Amino acid sequence: MIETDLTVSEPFAERMRLFRKRIAETGRVFRRNRMGMLGLAILLVFVAMAAFPAQIMWVFSEIGGWDYPYGPHDDVASRGSGTAPSWDNWLGTDQRGNDILARLIYGARISLVIGLLASAVAMVVGSIVGLLSGFWGGWMDEALMRVTDVFLVLPWLVLMIVFEAVLPGGPSVTKIIIVVGITGWAGTARIVRTQVLSVKERAFIERAKSIGAGEFHIIRKHIFPNVFPLIFANAILVVALAILSESALSFLGLGASARVDVTWGNMLEDALNNNAMYNGFYLWVLMPGLCIVFLVMGFTFIGYALDEIFNPKLRKR
Amino acid sequence: MRNFRRILLRRFISLFVTFLLVICINFILFRMMPGDPMRFMVPSDPAIPDEYKDKLIERYGLDDPLTEQFITYIKGVFTLDFGESFQYKMPAMDFIFEYIPWTLLLVGVASFFMIVIGMLIGIIAAWKRGSLFDSGSLAFSLFFYAMPTFWLAMIMVMLFAVTWEIFPPSRALEIGEEFEFTLASVKDLLSHLVMPVTCLVLVYIATFSLMMRGALSDVMTEDYITTARAKGLPEGSVLKDHAVPNAMLPMLILIALTIAYIVGGAFMVEYVFEYPGVGWATIDAVFEEDWPVLQAAFFLIAVAVLIANFVSDVVMLYLDPRVELS
Repeated sequence: MIETDLTVSEPFAERMRLFRKRIAETGRVFRRNRMGMLGLAILLVFVAMAAFPAQIMWVFSEIGGWDYPYGPHDDVASRGSGTAPSWDNWLGTDQRGNDILARLIYGARISLVIGLLASAVAMVVGSIVGLLSGFWGGWMDEALMRVTDVFLVLPWLVLMIVFEAVLPGGPSVTKIIIVVGITGWAGTARIVRTQVLSVKERAFIERAKSIGAGEFHIIRKHIFPNVFPLIFANAILVVALAILSESALSFLGLGASARVDVTWGNMLEDALNNNAMYNGFYLWVLMPGLCIVFLVMGFTFIGYALDEIFNPKLRKR
Repeated sequence: MRNFRRILLRRFISLFVTFLLVICINFILFRMMPGDPMRFMVPSDPAIPDEYKDKLIERYGLDDPLTEQFITYIKGVFTLDFGESFQYKMPAMDFIFEYIPWTLLLVGVASFFMIVIGMLIGIIAAWKRGSLFDSGSLAFSLFFYAMPTFWLAMIMVMLFAVTWEIFPPSRALEIGEEFEFTLASVKDLLSHLVMPVTCLVLVYIATFSLMMRGALSDVMTEDYITTARAKGLPEGSVLKDHAVPNAMLPMLILIALTIAYIVGGAFMVEYVFEYPGVGWATIDAVFEEDWPVLQAAFFLIAVAVLIANFVSDVVMLYLDPRVELS
C-alpha cells in the first residue's frame, strides 16, 4: 500500500480547524467595522439585562437603600395605582404597584427571546422555501414564489393581527413567536432563492454532479454552506423587525400577557390603558420605547456590518 | 408594442394568481382553523336568538362540506359579501367602506410629505456624500427607523397635546362634529391631522431618503454623468437633468413596495390617536371579536395593495423600455 499524504488523518479535526479560522477572520473584519462594534456593545448591555435581571436589581436596591430588590410582579397595592418617580421607585410604579425599572429590566429577557426565536422560525421557513424553489425551479419555484409574493406584498402588521386573532388559544409567548415567524419569512426566501440560483451555476456544482453526488448531498455540502453567511446576516436584521413586531402586537394586547410575561410592548399597553400620557408619568411611556429603539438599532447595526462582510460587492461603497 | 402587451398580460395573470391566493388564504384562515370555525361567521353571544344564528348558518352554508362552503364563499367574495358585522348588524364591507376616506386622507397626505421630503434628503445626501449632512441625515433616519410607530405617537401626544396643548390628542374632528366645507371645519380637521401625519412621516422618511441616496449613488457612477460633467454642465444641471430622472425609476418600484409598510404603520397611528380609519376599525373588530369585519378589512387591504403594486408595475413598464427586455 502506498501512503499518500493527501489523505487527511483527522477529517473532522481538519474541518473544525478551517471553521475556526474562518470565524476568526470574520471576527477580525468585524472588529474593524465601527458600526458593527457599536451595535455589539448595545446588544451586550441588553443581554446582560436579560441574563441577570435579579442581580442587577439587587445592585440597584443596595444603591437606593430599598427594603428588597424589586421584581416584575410585586403587585404592592400600598404604592397606589401609578405613581411618579421617587427615591424608592426611580422610574415610578405602574397601575398594579409594580416598580417600572424592575419591569423594564426583567422585560429584556422576553423581548429578546421572542425576537430571536421568531427570527429563527422565519429563517427556517424562508431558507427551506428559498432552497426548494431555487434548486428545483420549475412549477415548484413558480408556486412557492407566488405564495412568497403574497406574504411580501401584504402589510405585515395586518397579516400578524389576523393570524393572532384567528389561531386558536389566547395570547401567549409561544403564539406570538409562531405568528411573527410565519409572517416574516418571505424576504429571506427571496434572498436565499437568488443566492441559490447563482451558486447553482458555478463549476464546482457541475463537478459534484459529474462524479455522481446526489441532490441532497449537493444541497447539504455545497449549496447550503455558500448560502449560510447570507442567511445569518439576514437573520440579524429580521430579529430587529421581529422585536418591533412583537412590541406592536403586545401593545395592542395581542401578545404576551403583562401579568405573566413582561415585555416592553405590554408595558406600553399598560401605560396607554392607564392614561400615563395624560397623567404626566413621562418615564413610564419613555423608557420601554427607548429600550426597543436601542435594541432594534443594535441589531440593525450588526446586521449591516455582517452584510458588508459577507457581501463583498457592498464593501467598496 | 407587441412585446409590451405580452408582458402586460403576463403581469396581469400573475396579479390574478396572487389575488386568488389571497382569497384562498382568507378562506383557510377563517374557515379551516382548528377549534370551531363557526365562531368566525356566527356570533357566539347567547343573547342573540337562535333563529338568527340558524339563518346565518344557512346563508353561508356552514353545515355543508368544505368544498361547497368554498363555492358559497367565492360567490360572496365577488359580491363583496363577507357577512354581517356582529356588532352593528350591517354588511361588514359597508361598515369598512365608511372608514376608507379617513385612511386615504391620512395615508395620502403622509405619503406625499414623506416621499417629497425623503427624496430631497436623499438627493442632498447622495450629492454631498460623506459630508456632515450625509452622516447626520443617516443617523436621524436610522433612529426613527428603529422606532415603534405607536411609541412615537404616544410621545407626541404626551408632548404636544398634554404638556403644551398645541394639538388635540385624538380623533379626526371635535366630538360630535361632522365635516363640512367651512373654514372652521377645515381648520378643525387640519389641527387633528397634523400629529398623525407627522408621526407617519418621521417613521417612514428613512425608507425613502435611504432608497433615494442609494439609487442616486448608483446613477452617479454611470458614464453619462461623467459625460455630462465633461461637457461642462454646471453641477446643479447634472443633478437635475441627468442624475435624478434616472434615479426616479428604481424609486417608483420601491415606493409601491413600501405602501404595504405604510398601511401597517397607519394602523398603529390610527389606534393611538383614535383616528376613525380602517386600521382603527380593524383593531376594534379584533377586540370585539367582530370577525366578518376583520375578514372584509383584510380582503380590502390586500386587494388595494395588490392593485397599487400592479399599477406601479405598469407605469414602470411604460416609462422604462429596458424592463421589457428582461
